[in-house]
Formats: sequence, C-alpha cells, structure tokens
Amino acid sequence: MKLKSLLTATAAAALLAGAAHADVKFGALYPFSGGLALLGEESFRGVEIAVDEINAAGGIKGEQIELVRGDAVDNNQAIGEARRLISREGVKAILGTYSSSRSIAASQVAELSGIPYFELGAVADEVTGRDLQYLFRTNPTAETMGIMTIDMIVDEIAPGLGVAPEDLVIGVIHEDSAYGTSVAGHQERYGAEKGLNIATVQGYPTSTVDMSSLVLDLKDRGVNIVLQTSYQNDSVLFLNQSAEAGFEPDAIIGGGGGYSLTATAEAVGDKMDGVLDVDFTQYAVNTEFTPGLEDFLAAYQAKYGEDPRSGHSLNNYVGAMAVLEGIGAGEGFEPDQIVAAAKAIDIPSGATAAGYGVHFGEHNQNDRAMMMGMQWQDGKLVTVYPRDAAVAEFQIGD
Amino acid sequence: MDTFLQIVANGLMLGGLFAIVAVGLTLIFGIVKVINFAHGEFLMVGMYLSFLLSTGLDVHPYLTAAAVAPALFVLGALTQRLLIQPLMSARDEHVQIFATVGLSTALMNLALLIFGADIANTPAHGVRSQVMLGEVRILTGQLWVLAAAVALVIGLQLFMKKTRTGRAIRATAQNRAAARLMGINDKFIYILTFGIGAACVGLGSSLIAPLYPTSPTIGTYFVLIAFVCVVLGGLGSIPGAFFGALVIGLVDALSGFYIGSDLREAVVFTIFLLILILKPSGLFGTRMNLSHVSP
Repeated sequence: MKLKSLLTATAAAALLAGAAHADVKFGALYPFSGGLALLGEESFRGVEIAVDEINAAGGIKGEQIELVRGDAVDNNQAIGEARRLISREGVKAILGTYSSSRSIAASQVAELSGIPYFELGAVADEVTGRDLQYLFRTNPTAETMGIMTIDMIVDEIAPGLGVAPEDLVIGVIHEDSAYGTSVAGHQERYGAEKGLNIATVQGYPTSTVDMSSLVLDLKDRGVNIVLQTSYQNDSVLFLNQSAEAGFEPDAIIGGGGGYSLTATAEAVGDKMDGVLDVDFTQYAVNTEFTPGLEDFLAAYQAKYGEDPRSGHSLNNYVGAMAVLEGIGAGEGFEPDQIVAAAKAIDIPSGATAAGYGVHFGEHNQNDRAMMMGMQWQDGKLVTVYPRDAAVAEFQIGD
Repeated sequence: MDTFLQIVANGLMLGGLFAIVAVGLTLIFGIVKVINFAHGEFLMVGMYLSFLLSTGLDVHPYLTAAAVAPALFVLGALTQRLLIQPLMSARDEHVQIFATVGLSTALMNLALLIFGADIANTPAHGVRSQVMLGEVRILTGQLWVLAAAVALVIGLQLFMKKTRTGRAIRATAQNRAAARLMGINDKFIYILTFGIGAACVGLGSSLIAPLYPTSPTIGTYFVLIAFVCVVLGGLGSIPGAFFGALVIGLVDALSGFYIGSDLREAVVFTIFLLILILKPSGLFGTRMNLSHVSP
C-alpha cells in the first residue's frame, strides 16, 4: 500500500515536472472522419502551417506550440472531444471547426470550462450570435455572404447589364438547411434595403433529385438574376436543368459550397462559364491585396506535396496566424489573458493572406471579415470583386 | 398550357426514374418480406460501378449494365445469404430491418472512404441531349429510363406468371410452408429474389448514372421516395410500384410549380399518409400473406 502511494506520488511529480517543460498546447477540433472529413482536414492544414511558421520563428512567448487534434465527427463527439482536449490534454485554447453545428456544440463546452474557443471557418450566424464570453470568430459569416452578393449586383452586375438595379428581377433559391436559409434570409432583407426587386425566395431540400418545376417557375416569373445558396449536387442539378429548360438568366450567383469546386464545373461543362460565386478567398486573387498568400502556397506545397484543395486551408491559416500571434503579444496563457490579447488584435484590411483584416467587434465576431466575388472564366474560378482584389474583369452582358 | 404540358412531362420522366428504383424494392418486399433499407446504397454502388467502367473502358454507360446488373445480383444474393437468412429464424423479424439499415450505413461510409465526398461524373455520351415533342422538351436519357422501367415491369410480370421459377417464387411468397412441402427450396428462392431485386436497381443505376452526378449519399435521395411509391402502389405489387412512381412524379412536379418547391415534399408525404390511413393496402395491393412470420 505504501509502495503504491509512493509510486503514484512519484508518477504525479514526474508528470508535473514534465508539464513545466512541455510546449504550450492548443486543441485543433475538426471533423477528421465522416462526411465532412475532406474539408475538415483541409481546414486543419491551414492551422498546421500557421503553427509550423510560428514555431520556426521561435514560438509564442518563447514556447513551441503543440497542436492536439480532436475529431469532431458529429455533434456529440465534438462535445466529447472538446471535453477531452480541455480536461485531459489541458489545452490553453481550441481552434476549429469548419462545421457550424459542431462549433456551436463544442464551444458551449469550452464556454462552461472557461477556455477560449477560436472559430476560424464556420459561417452560421448562431456561432457568434449567442454572446459567449470565450468564443471568437475570425472568418466571414452567412450575413457577410448575403450582403456581398447584393453589393455585387448593385455595384457591378446592374451597371454591366446597363440597367438600373431595381429593374432586375431577382430569384433567390436555397437549400433549406440552416446554412442556405440564413444566407437567403440576409439576401432578401439586405436586397429589400437596397430597393431590389426580389421576385421569389424558394427553398428546396438538399436531397432533391429534380428542380425542373423550380426552374420553370423562375422562367415564368421572368427572373434574370438567380442567387443560389447550395451544395454540390443541387448546384449541378440547377445548372443542368436550367440549360435543359432553355432558362438563361443574365447572371447566376452561387453562394459558396458547390459553386467553388472544380468537380462541379466539370460536371456541368461549359454551362459554368460566366457563373458568379461568392465565397471565402480563393487562390486566383490579386496578391497585392493578400500579402503572404504566395508564401502560404509554397509552404503548403512543401508540406503536403499538392496544391490546396480549397480556400478553407487559407482562411484557417489566416485566422490561426492572427489569433496565435495575438496571444503571443499578450500577457500569458491564462484564459482571461488570452481573451484580453484577442480583443487587442487589430489587423487592417489588405494585410493578411486572405485579404481581410482581423478585429473582434460586437459578439466577438471579426468585423473586418469579408468574402470575395468570383467568376468562372475559361474553366477557372477567378476573383473579380472587390476591384482591389480582382485578377480579372467582370464578364457580364454582351 | 405549354408550361403545364412541360410540367406533366417532367413529372412523368421523374416518375420513370422513381419507378426503376422502386421495382426492385417492391419485389424484395413482396417475396422475401424484408424492407431493404440498403436499396438506395445498392443504387449508389451500381452508379459507382457504372462510372468506373464507363470512364475506365471509355464505353457508353448503358453498356455497363451488362456488368453492373450481374454484379448487383451477386451483391443482393450475398446480402440475403449472409445477412438476412441467418436472421430469418430470429424471434423478432425487425432485426432484419435493422440489419439492412446497418448495411446501408456501412456501404455509404465505405464509399466515402474509397471515393471521398466529392461527386463523380459519369460521361453523358449524348443522353443529356433533348428531344422536342411539340413544345415539350425531354431528355433522351429520361425517355430511356422510362422505357426501361416499362420493359422491366412487363418482363418481371411475364417471368413471374409464365416461368416455373416465377411460379415457385410466387408460391413461396404466398405460403412458405406449403411451398416447402411441394419441394420448393425456399432459401434458394429468397436468395434468387433478393438477387433479382438488386439486379433491377443495377440496371437502373447504369441508366441513372449519366443523368446524375454520383456521390456516396445519392442513394438516400432516391430511396425515401421509392418507399413512398411502393406503399402507394401496394406493398409487393410490381405494376403498383410503377404506377405509384408515376403518380408521385406528377404530384412532385405539379406541386413544385403550383404550390412551391419548399412544400413539394410536404405534399408528397401528406398523400403518403392519407393512403396509409384510407387504403392501407395501397392503390393496387392485396392483403399480404405473412404466414412465415408467425410460425
């Protein structure tokens, strides 16, 4: 009995001693398996590159950063893994999460434990809409996306077509989960504010196999601008069935998801040409507006031996760099010191590799986060909006 | 009027699509009395096979049916032999349903592992081109699906009515114990039927692959509606499933236009519930003999 307690004490002491010399640990909570694994992993790579870069430059506050992975394969496991990272691994903060629903679930746990949680990729409004004390978000949101689409119509599309914005007939269609519904809601509200004529707003289930009735309805209403917030399957379905029904709107603006992926473009062929898209910053962008993008790409290729599969890694990289460097400039690694350090972050627009600045405003949301407007031109997705970040001209009208 | 005709045409084409998925499902249910929740994943497996064969060998996706349908027959037969048959003696037949749910999840995740979440595009080889019937536009591929569904229904009916094996299958469905006393190998009949049901969806998947991008979850998109078609037509009735599918296709297309795309599923499933309440045996169904269930 005595021997056993002695051993336990020694082991505990050894652990404590180990902890004193250990690197500073941060949790990385992403879906690494299951249906969202591809882009979860892609998001995580951005964080990994940020950490490599910071560690190579001496770490933060003289300590090397160690990333501890947590697999948020579903909402329940996101909660379980957040608990494990906090209580067993003793991480100082958690970075994540790509999926909004998992972010909402896991950040609740972090909030209760008083551990800072930095969301770098989930777009749902509710993530920062809950007024949590320890939750910060660096990336743009569903609202940013909705506003950006409407701005693009007013600033570029209407002038390009040579008509007044209010003379356009706009149809908003969206997949009917929280993501599509909230983006469409912002488009409708902000479009009305700008005096646009939004003829119809229609949701459809993501698992739909037929959109021909919806296409005929849009055609019947004389819609000439279509806004679609969608995933991959429904983007393909809409573009194909529009062409097959002879429905040719002057502009189609996709919202993220399916519209940014090369596989979607391959599936519909030249129907993709000229289609617009609002999404996170991608790679065909003016690098004067996104300093550090080329270095990021080089680091990515060196580490993984391939090009990034989407813009998720870039946006997570930018968020992680801002947050970790911000913490490094702070007082220390206690939760309140990290929160204070985060609130002091002040990076202007045009100074990060994604173009947007970082500054946490109301609800701890980054109020400088923005998306980019892109267009498929000759099989490539190129940035066309805002003009500062553009690498190509808008192709609209004749 | 033109728009109306176009919607009706779209609805019928959609119905053909549902029909070709539903036929195999209703066959398996009618004979083996197992609700195959993995049916959608059989479709998905078939579509991936079609995709791989048509891109790998650079052949028309329709030709791949010659390999895909037999492959799915084997998959179906193995499912019955290795998964369902050992559970047939289980005290509670619901176990079989859970087994097919498990198979469905396993197949879906296996596809995720092998192919990733991205979509796979089977080359269209011209089946996405249009034919005009007056003012109505129809895809040639959709016409082929509808034609294949009609041929499949007629072919299966003839097989069941005219051949010795078909009669044995029907006898087993009507009364398993009596069929056994007549010297019919009921276990073999079940394996055969499950195989044929899966081969039907295999044929369908080669026809659907060039029309829809393939993804691990594509099966779930079709199978829920296929269940509705099967119930609407009367569980186990092959012509019933076909006409049920046409009705659902029309309802879906018409409600999508006149009521709104957000409510079309609500309309379809309201009809589904009404049928269940008012005519539980379906439009074409007769009472089922479940003699094998209660010993």
